[in-house]
Amino acid sequence: MPFDAVNSKVVRARVSPATPVLARRGAMLGYSGQVTFRPVHGQGRGIGGMAGAALSGESTPMMATEGQGEVLYGYKGLHTTLLELDGSAPLVCEADRLLVHDAGLQTSVAFLGSGGIRSAISGAMTGQGLFTTNVHGRGSVALLSHGGAFPLQLNGTQVGVDPQAYVGHVGQLTVDLAAKVGLRDVVGRGSGEAFQLRISGYGTVYVQASEQKF
Amino acid sequence: MALLTADKRVLHADLQGDRIRAASGSMVAVEGTVEFKSSGMGGGGGMRAALKRAVAGESLSLMDCTGHGRVYLALDAKDVLVVDLAGDTLTVESEHILAHTEQLRLDVQFAGLRGMTSGQGLATTTVTGHGQVAIVSEGPVMALEVRPGMDLVVDPDAYVGSRGQLSMSMVSGVSWKSLVGEGTGEPFSLRFTGHGLVLVQSSER
Repeated sequence: MPFDAVNSKVVRARVSPATPVLARRGAMLGYSGQVTFRPVHGQGRGIGGMAGAALSGESTPMMATEGQGEVLYGYKGLHTTLLELDGSAPLVCEADRLLVHDAGLQTSVAFLGSGGIRSAISGAMTGQGLFTTNVHGRGSVALLSHGGAFPLQLNGTQVGVDPQAYVGHVGQLTVDLAAKVGLRDVVGRGSGEAFQLRISGYGTVYVQASEQKF
Repeated sequence: MALLTADKRVLHADLQGDRIRAASGSMVAVEGTVEFKSSGMGGGGGMRAALKRAVAGESLSLMDCTGHGRVYLALDAKDVLVVDLAGDTLTVESEHILAHTEQLRLDVQFAGLRGMTSGQGLATTTVTGHGQVAIVSEGPVMALEVRPGMDLVVDPDAYVGSRGQLSMSMVSGVSWKSLVGEGTGEPFSLRFTGHGLVLVQSSER
């Protein structure tokens, strides 16, 4: 694994000419060795990718780190979670949760609406937007979360997740929004859990210990 | 019987057909079938508790979690601590309560002058009974022991709660220097005497 955790909030990435990394722009804290930083636009997919990213609003400015050395990454004191993708299933998350990942991984923007009008509504209702980012391939990813992300393993079971606390997921999972808005919620006496993401299937869901988005 | 376990900043609540009360909106994930319902104005304590709370300005919005399964609760990435109570009383600020088991009773206690200076309103909450209560804090909680002859002085902004036979008094360090803006930043402190534990967080509100 080219990444290792210095502490719960800082990631150290080893960079070599064969293994450059992509990181959130401005997230570099320090480095040693011969390393250069270069801004990347449109997540490396040319003009089409750039336009797509701009249109969807699912774009966080990224930079490529190249050369030979070790680089420290961190962002706003947020906790980081290191994931190793084996290529069998993409990681689905929000673009602004990606702190750093191997440049060998492909990112693409997925339109939630392709899953029917229901999922489009769920994106709009939960404030996640209509697009999410898929990370494909084999490699390492560091995700940002407020308060640290903990994994929930699903083996054909179902889990309910607060949309604000949802970080991302890996595996063969289906995500559905369950709304239970009753009269109590309308008059302001609800439990605060009217909306839940119902996630079921086989895989891992990452949930953060806070309901703050960033 | 419902079991609460703390895992750093997340509280695991295992329910077996019973009920716990938790701060409204604090659920981050749930496994199994669990229903969430607002406990109402008194935090489940009925009309009298609601009235008392309204007068005291101790705001506390709780929800009932009922069912079978595990609920993951968290509040703004704050650290979680579970306190086991066996018939004794925990005094805690209402904003620090994350969840408690059903058998516990919450009540409002008037704190007087202390509350005014620490900007937390005039009252604190007491938790009594047999069961578990989970409290949240900004940074991990330290439990500091108080014994006869060993008084403890803490900053009101870092005070989370206390348990045991304790009496609390204000210590004022206000002098002419504070008035001209040359104070130390510690004009008031809380002095605890007696026998018990005082919970202090590693941050000031």
